[in-house]
Amino acid sequence: DEWSVSVWGKPRVFTSHIEKLNEILTEKTNGEFTLNISYGGLSSNRENLDGISIGAFEMAQFCAGYHRDKNPTLTVLELPFIGVNTLEEEVAVSNAVYATDAAKEDLGRWNAMLLMPSPMPQYNIVGTGEPADSLEKFEGMRVRATGGIGQAFQTVGAVPTSVTATEAYNAMESGVVDTVAFAQHAHFAYRTIDMADWWTANLNPGTVNCPVVVNTDAYDMLSDEHKAALMEAVPMAMDHYLAEYAKILDKWEGILAEKNVQKVTYSEEDLEKFRAAAAAPIRDQWIADMTAQGMPAQELYDTMMEALKASRM
Amino acid sequence: MAGSSAVLEDGSVLSRIDLGLLRIERVLALISGLAVFSLMVLAVVSVSGRNAMNTPLPGYVDWIEQIMPLIAFMGISYTQRDGGHIRMDILVGRLKGRVLWTAEFITTLVALILILLLIWGSWAHFDRSFDWNAPLWSRDSTIDIALPLWPAKLLAPVAFSILSLRLVVQLVGYAKGIIGGGEPAGVPLNRSVAEQAAEEAAHVSGADT
Amino acid sequence: MEPIEIGIIVSLFLLAMVVLGMRVAFAAGVAGLIGLVWIFWNKFGYDPARFGKALTIAVKTAGQVPHGKVSSQALSLIPTFILIGYLAYYAGLTKALFEAAKKWVGWLPGGLAVSTVFATAGFAAVSGASVATSAVFARIAIPEMLKIGYDKRFAAGVVAAGGTLASLIPPSAILVIYAIIVEQDVGKLLLAGFIPGAFSAVIYGALIVGMALALPNFGPPVRGFTWGERFKALPPAFPIFFVVFIIICFIYNPFGGDAWGTPTEGGALGAFVVFLMALVHGMRWPQFKDALMETAKLSAMIFTIIWGVLIYVRFLGFADLPRAFSGWLTSLDQSPMMTLVLILLAYAVLGMFMDAIGMLLLTLPVVYPAVMALNGGEMVSAADSAFGMSGPMCAIWFGILVVKMAEFCLITPPIGLNCFVVAGVRPEVSVQDVFRGVTPFFVADALTIAGLVAFPQIVLWLPSQV
Ligand code: NA
Ligand code: NA
Repeated sequence: DEWSVSVWGKPRVFTSHIEKLNEILTEKTNGEFTLNISYGGLSSNRENLDGISIGAFEMAQFCAGYHRDKNPTLTVLELPFIGVNTLEEEVAVSNAVYATDAAKEDLGRWNAMLLMPSPMPQYNIVGTGEPADSLEKFEGMRVRATGGIGQAFQTVGAVPTSVTATEAYNAMESGVVDTVAFAQHAHFAYRTIDMADWWTANLNPGTVNCPVVVNTDAYDMLSDEHKAALMEAVPMAMDHYLAEYAKILDKWEGILAEKNVQKVTYSEEDLEKFRAAAAAPIRDQWIADMTAQGMPAQELYDTMMEALKASRM
Repeated sequence: MAGSSAVLEDGSVLSRIDLGLLRIERVLALISGLAVFSLMVLAVVSVSGRNAMNTPLPGYVDWIEQIMPLIAFMGISYTQRDGGHIRMDILVGRLKGRVLWTAEFITTLVALILILLLIWGSWAHFDRSFDWNAPLWSRDSTIDIALPLWPAKLLAPVAFSILSLRLVVQLVGYAKGIIGGGEPAGVPLNRSVAEQAAEEAAHVSGADT
Repeated sequence: MEPIEIGIIVSLFLLAMVVLGMRVAFAAGVAGLIGLVWIFWNKFGYDPARFGKALTIAVKTAGQVPHGKVSSQALSLIPTFILIGYLAYYAGLTKALFEAAKKWVGWLPGGLAVSTVFATAGFAAVSGASVATSAVFARIAIPEMLKIGYDKRFAAGVVAAGGTLASLIPPSAILVIYAIIVEQDVGKLLLAGFIPGAFSAVIYGALIVGMALALPNFGPPVRGFTWGERFKALPPAFPIFFVVFIIICFIYNPFGGDAWGTPTEGGALGAFVVFLMALVHGMRWPQFKDALMETAKLSAMIFTIIWGVLIYVRFLGFADLPRAFSGWLTSLDQSPMMTLVLILLAYAVLGMFMDAIGMLLLTLPVVYPAVMALNGGEMVSAADSAFGMSGPMCAIWFGILVVKMAEFCLITPPIGLNCFVVAGVRPEVSVQDVFRGVTPFFVADALTIAGLVAFPQIVLWLPSQV
């Protein structure tokens, strides 16, 4: 079997588990089962689920926040202030949600099967000018943040602003936004780190969730041997991903020091205030909305929080 | 001005259908033009809101993405009516009479088949984003403020359907040309490029005081 | 069959359809759709029972492209830039520019022709489309040149060539299209067009002065304007600078502070200012409606080509052709610079037969990755590169080169759209006349391109300041 895989951008840590998966599969099956990974040639990033549903390719990566209505169950993972601190915890909560019947059904509408997460660190913000080192200073601050994270900042008086990732640097330079919320690798890729005076080290407002899915029919058509090879390769690919991202995080610390970027650390009290203002109301709203759509929202949320607790034991 | 295309009008049934369709096409093209203008207005609102009141327009990018299909699709049939979709006419420009109508008939037929298939494909694209049971019937939404995408996606099959009617009118015209041999009504006549350009220039006349 | 072979066959088929006179947008869509069906059926081993499935997948894949690709913020600059051009005409900016240029540089040998070039360059700063610029100036400048004894062929040639400046000097629809195809920063590319556009205008001007000095009976200079008259001619043209100033400030603030916004906002705001000027200058609903309808028509034409070609490009992605082509090009046994020059020459030949936008859309998905690979990759540093510039800078440099080539194709026979437009506006000149008159400018354009290749700093200095 040769599977086509649709991802976007350039090869980077974010796609390293898929590249590794191909390596392991090729080796395990003596080249009988390989992945042909295309960076943007097969689909645009917001239409990868459509492509899976059509059957145009067998595997794809996407982010839940790109299209909330396509995958409502996964958006639980993008709620603000869940409390995830590490990539390992992010993997644990993602896998727990992916394993629920609700998520399987949700993705089943697209003929898709969740394979593995692409865990992203928390979207901490870089900013220019005077650091927002207390909650009061968020008042009137223009922040580039989307979805739930954007809503969270709004609750403390900040102004979320629509700018595409590629325009983020420009927007920051031009003062269209004062701050940008990204994962570290994106702060590198979109050069927002070059503009930074400060970075919120422990705000941890939330992140986006970007799973890798496979086309269900294509999976069913695999031989048992190839199915097993694929499933055995996943944990190994994830380990590789985590090791690669750890390198980015090391590099990040180095760059902060080199560019003399101030690390802003919030007191537990401030964080608690932020959570009270943002986390609870947005979560309650989410649960109410999703329940109204007939989704077991509370259950999904509880599953996620239990997985987080369990991962810390 | 805008109506002075080289499409023959002769009072025949085909010609009357052509003019009826043109009326719809003009309205859709004007909507497309107004959508371009709305981009300007939106930018003014966004910039002044941000700088004067520190309240940027929420979902500015989302709104632009919703407006773009209006601009891209609504004028497609109006443009096809007077042969405004560009092509290389080194060869076609030399043909005359029945040979010309046959060549035009074939390329138009191929275009019609393409458009019919794309109506199917773009309808499927719309259909995946539409769900009677979802809030706002939405199964796909914009990234920032979650506007439903199905209305914008629906524009493609709608505009393509009008275009396919236009292509059928032109096919009938070319068929009449092949049978009768003369210049048929309802199709863009093969004017020289210079004639076309003269017409283009007519749109920027009268204001150079 | 290998997907790459399918890719090559379908591409040749596309070329045949375009030559035979199928409309470019539809030819590309047909080629893309046939290619997709073929690719999927090939994957199913040409099993007749599964042809229907291959067709369904192909049609649904193609059906995503029109909406998915046109709903982009960056593309919104294209209709905005087109509308600006029409509104600027109704705002009286064209006439004002020509009068000011005439009074200031008319005294030079070949003065009126030089004035025309500078006035088109000035108008280029508000117009995003070359063809529109030539159409507008053919009405204003040619009669004046004929009145004082210019050769009609040369007068027409000046206007046809001058119009091409509109696509280098920002705003430029075609630079935006390039930026989108290759996924580069639109603002930087627009900025990069400024100096090469001005450089191009100066070379045109120098060529005219040289010809006027060398040839007897060339158009005489226009002298006798007082300084008072000169300064009085400036204010009506000032709005142009105001609009340019706004657009620049939204891309990059020359005063060192924050820029005022994003390029998208700058373009739209510039258009709004010109709209207000046109209102003040007497534009009313009939003229405005006409501007809107013409913008709609041109936009529909461009966007249909865009999504049609992108269906073909989607098929190329499945056939993996761009990767194969860039692999082949980089394996050639000659210097990268030689390969680049050959690519530019190929564009000159292709440009004789195709229009600019169609040409870029059809070729860049394959050629751009190849050029980037020639230089050493997208992220290569200047020190390790073949052309002595970093990956992102190479993307900008190649963009300006390619757009200049695309502009060149607007004045080369047999399909030179600007020449057709000029001949169409002036009944007294034939298409052959314009092609004859524009020939000296081939030399100027060749010099300009050679200059941009030999001294990339002309292109890269300004964007590297940001
Ligand atoms: Na321009
Ligand atoms: Na040409």
